[in-house]
Amino acid sequence: MVERKRIEIPADAKVKVSVGPEEKFPFDISPMYEGERIRKEDMFVELGGPKQVKFELVLALPMDQVEDMKVTLVGPDLDEMKEGESYPYGMLYYIAGSKVETDLEPVIERRNHDFQNYIEGYMHLNQRYDIWVRISKNAVKKGLKSLIQIAKATMMLYKNELPFIEKIEAVYITDKNLVEKILKEIAMPIYDERDRRVETLHDEDVQEFYSCTLCQSFAPTNVCIVSPDRPSLCGAITWFDGRAAAKVDPEGPNKAVPKGELLDPIGGEYSGVNEFAKRESGGEYDRIKLHSFFEFPHTSCGCFEVIGFYMPEVDGIGWVHRGYPHPAPNGLTFSTMAGQTGGGKQVKGFLGVGIAYFRSKKFIQADGGWYRVVWMPKELKERVAKYIPEDIRDKIATEENAKTIEELKEFLKKVDHPVVKGVVRKVDGKKITEGWPEVVGVKEEKVEAKPEVAAPAQAPTAAVQPAVQVPTAPMPIPAMPAFQLPMPMPSQQAAPAGIKLIIKDAKITIGKIVLKKKGEK
Amino acid sequence: MTAIAVTGKGGTGKTLVSALLIHFISKKSRKVLAVDADPDSNLSDALGVEVERTLGDVREIFQVSRDEMGTMNKEQWLEGKIYETICECNGFDLLVMGRPEGEGCYCFANSLLRGILRKLTRHYEFVIIDSEAGLEHFSRKTIDSAEYVIVVTDMSKKGLATASRIKQLVKELKLNFKDIMLIANRISSEEAEKRIREFSEREKMKLLEVLPYDERVVELDLKGLPVVNLDESSEVYRRMRKVAEVFLKG
Repeated sequence: MVERKRIEIPADAKVKVSVGPEEKFPFDISPMYEGERIRKEDMFVELGGPKQVKFELVLALPMDQVEDMKVTLVGPDLDEMKEGESYPYGMLYYIAGSKVETDLEPVIERRNHDFQNYIEGYMHLNQRYDIWVRISKNAVKKGLKSLIQIAKATMMLYKNELPFIEKIEAVYITDKNLVEKILKEIAMPIYDERDRRVETLHDEDVQEFYSCTLCQSFAPTNVCIVSPDRPSLCGAITWFDGRAAAKVDPEGPNKAVPKGELLDPIGGEYSGVNEFAKRESGGEYDRIKLHSFFEFPHTSCGCFEVIGFYMPEVDGIGWVHRGYPHPAPNGLTFSTMAGQTGGGKQVKGFLGVGIAYFRSKKFIQADGGWYRVVWMPKELKERVAKYIPEDIRDKIATEENAKTIEELKEFLKKVDHPVVKGVVRKVDGKKITEGWPEVVGVKEEKVEAKPEVAAPAQAPTAAVQPAVQVPTAPMPIPAMPAFQLPMPMPSQQAAPAGIKLIIKDAKITIGKIVLKKKGEK
Repeated sequence: MTAIAVTGKGGTGKTLVSALLIHFISKKSRKVLAVDADPDSNLSDALGVEVERTLGDVREIFQVSRDEMGTMNKEQWLEGKIYETICECNGFDLLVMGRPEGEGCYCFANSLLRGILRKLTRHYEFVIIDSEAGLEHFSRKTIDSAEYVIVVTDMSKKGLATASRIKQLVKELKLNFKDIMLIANRISSEEAEKRIREFSEREKMKLLEVLPYDERVVELDLKGLPVVNLDESSEVYRRMRKVAEVFLKG
């Protein structure tokens, strides 16, 4: 970790210092100024922006190292700047408080954007090494003289809005050499360190996950749970995005979901997630395992970037992404499978995920993770190749190796894929599949029973294929390999006593289904 | 903020009307945002300005690079890029919406966009939107309201049919508009003007102005020159200035 300490200010630098709160500001401070765009014609000066070196950074320090409400300005101030020009800009804040931790630095740093935009005549855009600030001519006309006034106003807002900040101190820099030096030596390594958190932060390291219900308009029972090890299905929202959104708008589409009790460390089941899911889905389902493919899988909204599908013939899982137009080895295209799976249902045998989930250390770990994966399109495989463990990477087929189940079988046998002789789950060393009967010579039923753990209640006698379920209304069943037919129909939630048809091992062609109430002729 | 949406069937002169409105209004107000919300039109050409990037381009960049953003704040990233995309033209800002969405899910990107555009637009005195007849950006709520809807039509049956359809659509979209109005373009006979007045009464859409057929407009069109190059000698130019004054007076 990069050491957190006060920066050194060169002895020969031009420095202005001011301590203590400001009595009065020559500008208004209000959220109504958010989004105010200062046009080039109205601009006094530009700080940072496309042409200059710039950064903003928050550092958490021990209490005794922060001098409260002190501002140090290194370099020229506003009254020494030329109208219409742009200048380098660095904003550094030291913060302290009993609840202030290094982990909070990025969250606090992002608020600089909000608070500075509350200042009339001051426009703040972007973040980190990309900030872009403009000060309006009008603000200067109204009495803005110094960047110290800006720093004092920002610090005041920090302390008012985030009371856990007990002490705050600012160092603003317009001296090009010093901005460059701090950016290179301190800020960049810290930004990099934070980004590595995406890979190193895990479900067990946090207290809360975040929900996303942006998709509920068309998938009413869908609740996306975003955890450090599981980004949203659409690929857009990480745990960090969820946290940022929930902090700004706690009642918005991203809410904090307390984890509660850990019920299944391998499948990723938490009591808090179950309770939340039950409430938000209107009771539609009450258990979710975040890292499971077969047992209480996460619901699939319809936005997912990739769909996973179980192929009983090889006892393995294939994945196909939205951009792959051809049928997968199971004979189905992405859009066909997506149409069957979307709508906010738990569908056994199919799972929608975001591409970023392939990076997860817990990627379907309950069902063998990468060692259960047998097929994916070349384009997708190349995109995530570096996250695939080396010892399995070449054993996963692409369309170049196999286009049909038969070709896939041949390929898997040739490369000795783990599914052939049985998959050992990496996370706990448990053997979770038996391997292929013709290879390991086990009785057929026993082998095929394994993938069906997901639906023991519905299919106590093991079936080769997941059972076909027709949940409610009459509908033509397409002549396809058998699987569940989820029907994202709003009426389904309304009907408490639905009809469930379970048909096993059958090819079905149905001309018409007539449903009648009891006693009706 | 006064938001004016200019729409109508393609080829009826809606970009001409938009460009001249922007031209006249920005002479009086310092805070004008022009929005090109029609992928088929070329508002920037009509205004004689160059645009490097569109909001659609930014959204695409966002979609492909979001996995690499680490712990950066995506809303602030997107907001910064949109502000960079806005063209700071002489007297007004211009935002080009550009290409439609590609494949995949845009729920998150659009949800962020809506918030950003809402914050941005409220600081302008006038937002003038050149919109295709389907009003897609309104139905998706990327642009969430328009107080005045101006429908531009010529005398063609299709132009009038589109005008009626737009009126229906505007009602259905609940745009909270105050008024939906009509500008008739390329009206070259008294008979045509009479028919358009009848249409306006029947559809209960106020006829804001009748623009004559204008050789100079055709000439600029042929040469690919901006319509804001028109001057006092053009009847269309003079009449559109009157229209702009109606909005400037409020």
